Amino acid sequence: MLKNNIEWTKTGIDRRHFLKGASALALSTAAVGMPQFANAAGNVLKTRSYADIRSMDPAFSQGVVDEEIQGAIYNKLIQFKPGSEWGWQLDAAASIEQADDTHINFALRDDMGFTNGFGAMTAEDVKYSFERIIDEKLESTNKPDMSALDHVEVTGERTGTIVLKNAFQPLWSITLPYITGNIISKKAFEQAGGKIQTKPVASSGPYMHKSWEPKQKTTLVPNPDWKGEAAAFDEIQIFHIDDEKAAEIAYEAGQLDFTRVSLGSVERLKANLPANSTLAEFPSLFYVWVGMNLDNPKLKNIKLRQAIQAAIDVPSIMAASYFGAAEPSTGIIAPGLSGHRDQSLTGIKANLEKAKKLMAESGESNVSLKISVLNKSVNVTTAQIIQANLEKAKKLMAESGESNVSLKISVLNKSVNVTTAQIIQANLAAIGVTVEVDLHEGATFWGLGEDKTLELVLNRYSMTPDPYYATSWFITEQAGVWNWERFANAEFDKIHKDAQSESDLVKRDAMYQRAQDLMEESGAYKFITHEATPNVYRNTIVPALRPDGLPLYRYFKKD
Amino acid sequence: MIGYIFKRLGLAAIITVLAVTLLFLIIHMIPGDPITTMLGPRATPELRAALEERMGLDKPLPIQIVLFFTNMLRGDLGTDVFSGRAVTAIVFGQLPYTLALIFVSITWAAILGITLGCYSAVNRNSLGDRLAGILSVSVIAVPAFVVSLYSLLLFAVKLKWFPAIGAGEPGNLPDQIWHLVLPSLAIGLSWVGYIARLVRASMLEVLGEGHIRTARAFGLPKSWITYKYALRLAILPTVTVIGVGMGFLLSAAVFTEIVFSRPGLGKLVIDSITTRNYPVVMGSVLFSTLIFVASTTLADIINALLDPRTRKGS
Repeated sequence: MLKNNIEWTKTGIDRRHFLKGASALALSTAAVGMPQFANAAGNVLKTRSYADIRSMDPAFSQGVVDEEIQGAIYNKLIQFKPGSEWGWQLDAAASIEQADDTHINFALRDDMGFTNGFGAMTAEDVKYSFERIIDEKLESTNKPDMSALDHVEVTGERTGTIVLKNAFQPLWSITLPYITGNIISKKAFEQAGGKIQTKPVASSGPYMHKSWEPKQKTTLVPNPDWKGEAAAFDEIQIFHIDDEKAAEIAYEAGQLDFTRVSLGSVERLKANLPANSTLAEFPSLFYVWVGMNLDNPKLKNIKLRQAIQAAIDVPSIMAASYFGAAEPSTGIIAPGLSGHRDQSLTGIKANLEKAKKLMAESGESNVSLKISVLNKSVNVTTAQIIQANLEKAKKLMAESGESNVSLKISVLNKSVNVTTAQIIQANLAAIGVTVEVDLHEGATFWGLGEDKTLELVLNRYSMTPDPYYATSWFITEQAGVWNWERFANAEFDKIHKDAQSESDLVKRDAMYQRAQDLMEESGAYKFITHEATPNVYRNTIVPALRPDGLPLYRYFKKD
Repeated sequence: MIGYIFKRLGLAAIITVLAVTLLFLIIHMIPGDPITTMLGPRATPELRAALEERMGLDKPLPIQIVLFFTNMLRGDLGTDVFSGRAVTAIVFGQLPYTLALIFVSITWAAILGITLGCYSAVNRNSLGDRLAGILSVSVIAVPAFVVSLYSLLLFAVKLKWFPAIGAGEPGNLPDQIWHLVLPSLAIGLSWVGYIARLVRASMLEVLGEGHIRTARAFGLPKSWITYKYALRLAILPTVTVIGVGMGFLLSAAVFTEIVFSRPGLGKLVIDSITTRNYPVVMGSVLFSTLIFVASTTLADIINALLDPRTRKGS
């Protein structure tokens, strides 16, 4: 069921491209001598990030955009392994081993150093890098990922022990191979006053930071002091292009070598891939769901919530909103991660008979709800599906005898969300529930958690490759913060706490599966999808990607 | 004339203060939590409180406005909460890109539009005049975003003559000019038609006036009459329109900067509004207002210089 690393490759020139080229040539005869922007070639890798950088300080960087650069210019003890399965490989560490639940011994390679004359990388640098993140005075926003750290014990110039307060499984999947695992130069940071902003003070990876042109691009160049496998490119230019369609045009114009493309463009690109390009589809870790605010009196009735769960038809959403390029999800934990469930409790397809029965049992009438949405346009296919669903819904409404049931769904303003909300609107109309779509732009939407009157919400959270990260937002303590459904379950909270330190992977897997069952049993969640990451790239490069399709630039090669 | 200039500058200062105050209020009234947006999901309550204090959001709105203007007079527009950089540095980093885009767009549009307008007026009802009329109305009707997308697809994707994204390498002027071609075409094109129609209408009015007839009767050369006497008067409404047009070009630049992934003030405003980055929003808005007010004031002053009746009338 899961599309894993599906690739379409096109090489050379086919008939269509020959004709395209011929007509372009005919047009261009009027302007002989006009310079042409050929595909980004040679030793420069031109790629794209969807946002501008925020911080080059691992204590303050806020996600993948910063980490894509930090991952290339800083070293970690371990790095994510490129490929289709989540795993790690040694980086700055020559060896690393878990001595017991709370002690991890490491030895650094002897050829690691920092640029700008900051010398060899030592265990003191590791200690400084990790301990500053949990330092109260620094106020690092990434502290939760290092929350289990007690201290780092330096046992030699290049050896040490990471001492944890308690066993912490995400250490191997988030803490060490992701943002907080970046090792910085103690001397360089202390000279800079303890923290930096957007300009790195010393690099240690295969690349170093050359320049940052705000709102335009970041340029990396090979680190001359790097002793590992030589950097493949003379320059990596990472352009800030927030719009995926603009990035696609830039790729087709030959100005990018690698970019993520929109799900809506996948079919078009499969049919008409630019020459010498490959389209690769990867599963994503993001999770999308419809949440129901348990504290809202309109949604107190569990039968009504279960009816809503049963009425939402996920395959219709996959077809219309995701253009068939994503798969339905079974929970908040994506395939390939510990805790993923093969099936959800409520199923994927709408079960209108069950939904109608539950509605009847709920005894609800005059329910009106609002779904909040992030605001963008809808496509024709979706409109047709909605129309079809409405016809069915009208018929069922007449049969059910229900009236005046209406809810509001809150949604972030992106076309995919609007389409999904409208399908949900149509689905729920079929069981006699009227849904009002409430569209929000980003900053307004992300503040909705505090709104106690919230009804339905179409939500999407990012994810790191450990289930602990997913469950952390739904514990009771997070109610009204990031737990917008105000789901409160003591067993769930206990699982979240215990599973962090559970070293038996089979047991851990079962714990997280149970956690998702609890979420679903509450009737507050209908899981939609994990989305997908389609990338397009030139055949002249060999991209190194995480299993979720995100780039690891330090490992990119030329073909 | 000096008195007139001072009067105009005073008015410009009042307009700027009122506009910026209004925008300050609007920005703070729109829903959305800047602290959550800026700090992300992992922020502790202590961190949120500290940032709120640092941004001055814990103070009443009137105090925030007074503080903004007081700091502004000292040249301090605050710091970007994400990067910690000074807002003035951020805005001055982006401003040249937008100014270059607007200036190049309006310059080429004015040169072509005025030439076309003069030609049409002098050759009234000729085939050339009619063709120029059709062309002008056609380009006025095409929105800038349509020109942006089609010029991108044709000249960048298909023909690969011009770049699709960016503003060129810093310090490389030819490269930066090359990157300006398509964006300035996109936002300048409709102005060609607009200016051409305006100049044609003004020229026809002036060419029918008594002093022009007298000049013709004295046997002065046609080009001398057209460009020295008629155009000088006919250009006055165009100068005013170009001055006001700078403001419209600023808003057109927002879209163009997004489509062409160019840095600039427009993109900065959009990004900072969506992240509720108040200091950067206010810094960008202040400079956008200044550009608009400065261009309209400059147009008024040029008008007064060209036509003494204007300054006497005011």
